[in-house]
Parts: sequence; structure tokens; C-alpha cells
Amino acid sequence: MENEGRRRFLGVCVAGATAAAAVAAGYPVFRYLAPRAGQEGAAKLVIPAGELKEGDAKFFEFAGSSAVLIKTKSGELVALSAVCTHLGCIVQWVKEKQQFQCPCHGGQFSTDGTVLGGPPPRPLAKIPLTVTEGNITIG
Amino acid sequence: MLKRLYRWLDLRIGVGEIVEKELTGYLLPRNINEWYSLGSVLLIIFALQVVTGMLLMIYYVPDADKAFKSVTFIMNEVPFGWLIRLCHAVGSNMMVAVLILHMLSTLLMGSYKAPRELNWVTGFTLLALVQGVSLTGYLAPWSQLSFWATTVATNSASAVPVVGPYLVEFLRGGKLVGPPTLGRFFALHAAVLPVVIAAFIGAHLFLLKRTGISAPPFGREGTANPFEAQQYHYQGHPGGIPFFPNYVLQDLTSISIYFAVFLAVVFFWPGMPFTPDAFVPADPFKTPAHIKPEWYFLANYQTLKIFPSELLGLSVQAAAMTFLALLPFIDRSPERHPLKRPIFLTLVIAGILLWIALSVWGHLS
Repeated sequence: MENEGRRRFLGVCVAGATAAAAVAAGYPVFRYLAPRAGQEGAAKLVIPAGELKEGDAKFFEFAGSSAVLIKTKSGELVALSAVCTHLGCIVQWVKEKQQFQCPCHGGQFSTDGTVLGGPPPRPLAKIPLTVTEGNITIG
Repeated sequence: MLKRLYRWLDLRIGVGEIVEKELTGYLLPRNINEWYSLGSVLLIIFALQVVTGMLLMIYYVPDADKAFKSVTFIMNEVPFGWLIRLCHAVGSNMMVAVLILHMLSTLLMGSYKAPRELNWVTGFTLLALVQGVSLTGYLAPWSQLSFWATTVATNSASAVPVVGPYLVEFLRGGKLVGPPTLGRFFALHAAVLPVVIAAFIGAHLFLLKRTGISAPPFGREGTANPFEAQQYHYQGHPGGIPFFPNYVLQDLTSISIYFAVFLAVVFFWPGMPFTPDAFVPADPFKTPAHIKPEWYFLANYQTLKIFPSELLGLSVQAAAMTFLALLPFIDRSPERHPLKRPIFLTLVIAGILLWIALSVWGHLS
């Protein structure tokens, strides 16, 4: 009986030491592989208002993802995520139709991000923006 | 839970039979010693080199313009990148050191003798391949140290008669070490040589399984080699100790001791694999003073220097290496106990002392 107890105790010790060693080796490897913090890019971006004509769109990187700024024909400025809500492709601006089209599965979005057709389940996410002294601040 | 899983597997693929044959029923000589566990230590080191190498490839860029920056990025920016790289750099040195110890124990215990000549030859080839994988990896950081050490190392091939200069150019991919050298050395280091090494390890283990493990030539029993080349015979050890759990415990002990030494170097002597030139990017127009190869090439380096002609130095080394590689075919006496082979023992000790002396001389010169 005493031997059984010792054997169990040693077993628990060995298992514990092995688990500790696995964590000690696994944690650095996990941290090494994990995406690094602070790599998402600027959370705020300033674009000169003069860069964009009415009816045009400007694609840019924002907070580690793709985004688009459009100036509608009525002069309204809208910033949206350019990532299609269906399967994550980047939507394209169709200037003639003044709408977005996803090249992957034909999803269509209006200038305010609303789904006009195709498989996307949700509208494009809106990004807040402010206009001051001729500069558009996104985010 | 584990027992149920074992039973489940046993019912389907007969795990119990494998365990009986390869682990609990695999009997080793009763007087087996610690030195026999160095093979297992080497397997662990090789596995660790492969894993850390794969991890380094995630951030390392094998391009002459970006290699040094990517290594600096791994060391300074990537979380635990320094640890992964140090494990790889220190591990490569350790692999050569443990491999030399493994071969020395085989040499002193006469385990290379018939019927294990091929085990020795494959082991010797593995030593050359490991040195090759270390040499090709040395260039990867594209530092002053790696650039000029590779220049010196590849240049020694020029002493080969007739084809020497072409051989150097072929190795480098150009007249001088440059971006093409990095491309071919990286391919050799990360793709070709590891696969060849793994294949030779497989062959080495296969031969070990077919011949059976040798008994140490110590203890009460006769120490002469009992092998007679008349027909194939597996050398078993009836009444010996089982591989599992008995010798696995010894393997684990040796692996733990290895890790203690290895991690002590990684954490307390991280500068061991580097000289100050390792922290300066490669400059093809500026040779640093006193550029030296790795410690395991110092004896070769010094041998090349002390002979009046490079060809002579290279020939002496080639002769010594060929002699060592073919030792089992030259030394055919059945006696294996080192103390009963005074001439052999004297030669081995003299050889080791000569190698150490040349290395120290090479380091100091």
C-alpha cells in the first residue's frame, strides 16, 4: 500500500514537472508565433480633402485592415471597411454605377455600405470621420 | 483513460506486440553504460534543431539585402525570437560536441568492429553532414563573421589540384561569396542537408536494429569480439535489461543533463556562438582582422596554415579523415577492451591531444 502511494505521488510529480516543462517551452513558441501587438497600423488617419473628387473612392490601410473613403456625387464623405462581409474579399468601386462590387461572389453595396444584392449577410462597417480645415480625419 | 486508449489501439493494430518486441522485450546488455544514451540525446538535439529552424524560417529572409536585418528583427523585436535563435545557434554547436563524444565512446569501446562497420561508416558520414549543415547555416545571418568565415572555408577547396578554382566558384555560385552563395547555402542548410541527415539517421538506426546493440567490453565476461562472419546473426542479449523502462530512464537522465548544460549556455553564456563580428552586417569590401572558423573547424584551419602548401595540408586532412572513416576495415583485431589495446589507446589519446592542440593553436594564432 505504501509503495502504491509513493508510486502515485511520483507519478503526479513527474506529470506535473512534464506539464510545467511543456508550458515553459510552449509559451515562448506561442508568443513567437502570435501576431504582434501594435502592428495594426494607425487608429487615426488624415487625408487632405482635396485628394478626392466627387464620385471617386480612395482605398487605404486602416487599423490593420482595408478601408475605403468615398465622396458621393452629392459631396457627402463616407468611410467604410472595404472587406466584404460575405467571405472577406476586398470590394471594388464601380464609379459608373456609384456602388461597390465584390469580385469574389458578386456582392453589391451602396455608397453607405448597405447590401444591394448578392450573398453578403451584413452591410459594410462604417468608420467615423471628421472634416476640419480641409483635412479628413478617419477613425 | 490511457489504459483504455492503449487497449483500443492494441485491438486494432497490435500495439502490445510492438511494445513487447521493441520496448519491454528489447533486451540490452546488463553492463550497458551511460555512454550508450548519447544516440538518444543526439536524436533530441536534431529534432530541436529542426523545430527551431522551422520557427526561424517564419521571420528569416534569405536575401543578401534583408538577411541581416531579419535576424536582427528576430533577436530584438519578435517575442522570444532571441530564445529561438540562441537555441538554434547553441544547439548546432552542441550537436557537433555530442556527436564527437558519441563517436569517441564508440571508438574506445570498440563498438565499430565487425559486424558494425556500417554503423560506424554511417555515423562518420553523419558527422561530416552535421559539420556541413553547420557550415552552410553559418552564412545565413549575413554578418561580417558569417561572410568572411564562409569566404575562408570555401577558399580552402581551391587547393584541390586542377578543379580547385572551379570548385570554389561552384560552391560560391560566383567568383566571390555573394548573394548567389546565400541562396545555395540556404537551400542546402534548410532543405537538402536536413533530409539527407534524417535519411542517414534512419539508416543508422536500421543497422543498429539488424546487428543488435553491442555489449560494452567491460566486466567479468570475455572482452574479445565474438562475431564470426559466416552467416547473418542478430546479437541479442538474453537475460539482459529491458529497454523500457530501465534504459529509457537512463536516456531521460542523459537528455535532462544535456538540457541542463544546453539551457545554462543559452541563458548564462548567450555570447558563446558569436564574436563581435557577428553583430556587424556583411561588408564584401572590408575583411575584419582575425577571422576564425567555428571551434570544430579550428584544427582543420590550423592544419592548412602549418603546411607549406595548401594541397599538402588538405591531403593530410583527407588522409586522416579517410583513415578514420575506414577504421573498422583497417583495425580487425577481435579485442575491444581499451586497456588491452595499448597501442590503439595511445594513438586515440595522442589523436585527441593533437586535435585539441591544433584547435587551441588555431584559436590563438
